[in-house]
Amino acid sequence: MRRSHLLATAAGLALACSPLAAHAQFAPAGSGGPPSATIPGPGNADEPKENTPADSSYFAGPSPYAPQAPGVNAANLPDIGSIDISEIPSMAPQQSANPAHGDWPAYGRDDNQTRYSPLTELTPETVNNLKVAFTYHTGSYPRPGQTNKWAAETTPIKVGDGLYMCSAQNDIMKLDPVTGKEIWRRNLNVKYESIPYTAACKGVTYFTSAVVPEGQPCHNRIIEGTLDMRLVAVDAATGEFCPAFGHNGQVNLMQGMGESVPGFVAITAPPPVVNGIVVVNHEVLDGQRRWAPSGVIRGYDAESGKFVWAWDVGNPDDHSQPTGNRHYSRGTPNSWAAMTGDNALGLVYVPTGNAGGDYYSGLRSPAENAISTSIVALDVKTGSPRWVYQTTRKDVWDYDMGSQVTMMDLRGPDGMLAPALIVPTKRGQTFVLDRRTGKPILPVEERPAPAGHVPGDSRAPTQPWSVGMPALRMPELREKDMWGMSPIDQLYCRIKFRSAHYDGEFTAPSLDKPWIMYPGNNGGSDWGSMSYDPNTGILIANWNASPMYAQLITRRKADALKLMPIDDPHYKPGAGAAEGNGPMEGTPYAIAIAPFWDPFTKMLCHRPPYGMITAIDMKHGQKVLWQHPLGTARANGPWGLPTGLSWEIGTPNNGGSVVTAGGLVFIAAATDNQIRAIDEHTGKVVWSAVLPGGGQANPMTYEANGHQYVAIMAGGHHFMMTPVTDQLVVYALPDAIKH
Amino acid sequence: MAVRNGTKTLTEWLTLLLGVVILLVGLIFVIMGADLAMLGGSVYYVICGIVLVASGVFMVMGRTLGAFLYLGALAYTWVWSLWEVGVSPIDLLPRAFGPTILGILVVLTIPVLRRLKSRRTLRGAV
Repeated sequence: MRRSHLLATAAGLALACSPLAAHAQFAPAGSGGPPSATIPGPGNADEPKENTPADSSYFAGPSPYAPQAPGVNAANLPDIGSIDISEIPSMAPQQSANPAHGDWPAYGRDDNQTRYSPLTELTPETVNNLKVAFTYHTGSYPRPGQTNKWAAETTPIKVGDGLYMCSAQNDIMKLDPVTGKEIWRRNLNVKYESIPYTAACKGVTYFTSAVVPEGQPCHNRIIEGTLDMRLVAVDAATGEFCPAFGHNGQVNLMQGMGESVPGFVAITAPPPVVNGIVVVNHEVLDGQRRWAPSGVIRGYDAESGKFVWAWDVGNPDDHSQPTGNRHYSRGTPNSWAAMTGDNALGLVYVPTGNAGGDYYSGLRSPAENAISTSIVALDVKTGSPRWVYQTTRKDVWDYDMGSQVTMMDLRGPDGMLAPALIVPTKRGQTFVLDRRTGKPILPVEERPAPAGHVPGDSRAPTQPWSVGMPALRMPELREKDMWGMSPIDQLYCRIKFRSAHYDGEFTAPSLDKPWIMYPGNNGGSDWGSMSYDPNTGILIANWNASPMYAQLITRRKADALKLMPIDDPHYKPGAGAAEGNGPMEGTPYAIAIAPFWDPFTKMLCHRPPYGMITAIDMKHGQKVLWQHPLGTARANGPWGLPTGLSWEIGTPNNGGSVVTAGGLVFIAAATDNQIRAIDEHTGKVVWSAVLPGGGQANPMTYEANGHQYVAIMAGGHHFMMTPVTDQLVVYALPDAIKH
Repeated sequence: MAVRNGTKTLTEWLTLLLGVVILLVGLIFVIMGADLAMLGGSVYYVICGIVLVASGVFMVMGRTLGAFLYLGALAYTWVWSLWEVGVSPIDLLPRAFGPTILGILVVLTIPVLRRLKSRRTLRGAV
């Protein structure tokens, strides 16, 4: 009663005293505060000399050559040995290669990562009757005194009689897919300190052994990479550690990484198994220091957990594990998004990010420049790139590759059917490549890009534009696109717009005044990736239109602001991390960055929509079938007040979609905390339900007990300011629930 | 309604308050609008702000002219808004909605301002 009162009052207030009540929810909801970054503004990027202790950086991490402290190896695991590729048995047939009709055995359901399910019980006609079948609590959420860094982002997988998933802090569980009852749970005791930017576990990997006979423990395994850098394998039937994998089921992935602290490097995406090799990537916290830990990609034997190869950009000819005091080259581009394995070509497609010190590229090596913000096709036998396709040159906009690429067959302009790779980007440019060569199938144009503003850090003269695919972006910003509740906040935003450098996309970083990045670092497309219906040829893409506002600041100013890398001894856990101000220690500058918003009302500065969903017909000339704003204003408003309005304003979104043979697209993602079903052919929203928290995760669907279920992790997202919960919500028709 | 000399009725107080609000909004428009104009942005705010300041001052003084100046500024706002973004409700919201709500209140003050005027005239005649 009281709550509904409050909502009504808030909605009434918002309507009465403002023209507008809907906006991007970047405003507090639940625990944790908003990103606190303030942008210094024109002429304020430096600090008077007398205010700072020294010209050079006062705050600094330890030497990059310092030895690794014992606690960084979370479970105190001994080193793992190596195994030669020739000793790895050929891989047994995997569930994900040919998924059972009602299963969802991999993060993107199948080896192609299509996020397509052949299930048909739910259709635009029946979906309206969906009810909650069960809710499962993972037990991972911020405890009192902990900064809210949570966004579970989890997608369960379903194989046979089990729904397998992980909590935001990596505990693994098997649930009954009909009742949600926990069948087993493997606690991994990942500590709060090990949470990097976000406590997330996007999913686990199902692997069937070729060595362990059927019926024996660990014939079928659940493999997971953890926030504290362990590679873990447990028996799918019991949840017991696989004794023959690594050291009793665990491998220490901090081996060879050198100096680090908990939370600096972490795994949040499920590691793919390609021809028997588990390929592991990890995120390195953005914006900390030029000589951050390595972004090395490594392959391990999925049977024994032994090391097979490393791909170290700074040391590309040495694929072995470093020994003694040596470590993988520091500061190299990291890869945090989900990778896709291609068993037929023996490749793993690695979506890469940027070298350490994300907004200054003057210190990057040519080798780093060649492979950052790219898709790198690594040969899983050798760990060497077979081809590289770069989507942004000399990226200083945090356009790191967030999406998992999707494999499909596409008839190109030449009429030939080619094995294709759909490569979504944060820029909203979707590249379509030939998987064999990395060459674009659909045309790509090189277009001139704005010049640099910072001496010693020139920008690339041109950037690639995928003109053969519809652009998932809005037109360039103009002053008249500034928005607000009233003329006054609109005026504020106009001044903010005019005070910054803005030459359209690829506006270069600047010190003299802020610059606007649009698209922002939330995309375009981000980690939600895309779903593809191979029968209809419809590709579903949800994307963002949310600019960022940033400014380089001098080292003196950074010291005055007490910006320090996470491995500085003065660093306090829970203090600023990626996506906010960053010290970029080891480069000449630090970074101040925030959404392009009115920090008082927490409304984005430009007109909505801020989030969209688009259906593209890949079989008939890559035309847009339908496109509309995604997300309503119901949970959003000035100062974070919910308005209750069902107006589809289009909110920022994180998380992806599912497409089904029943002709439905399931997606949550938006900050209105709803899950919805959309008619695949018309784009009409045919069903929606309110989640207990933010639906910033990829949903999945499966069949159990003869009925179709839809599962979504309502884990929320700290940066999206949606309510964080530990609840997996599973929907089904009433017939399925009466059991 | 009995009007005693020297004391204000509630409607007169509200009219005064509205005048103060318009004056403040006008000052914000002038100061921030000048900033925007110097950055090469729209000059609408600084022009509109000057009229709003005048409107607010006259309303505080109890002059009907204040109300008409506001309505003039509102008309300018609508013309400028339609010129800048056309008939697009989502874009008209921040520009014209709030000022129009204020405009309705201003219209309601016109009888009050007229009464104040006639009272001033009476006092002047005595």
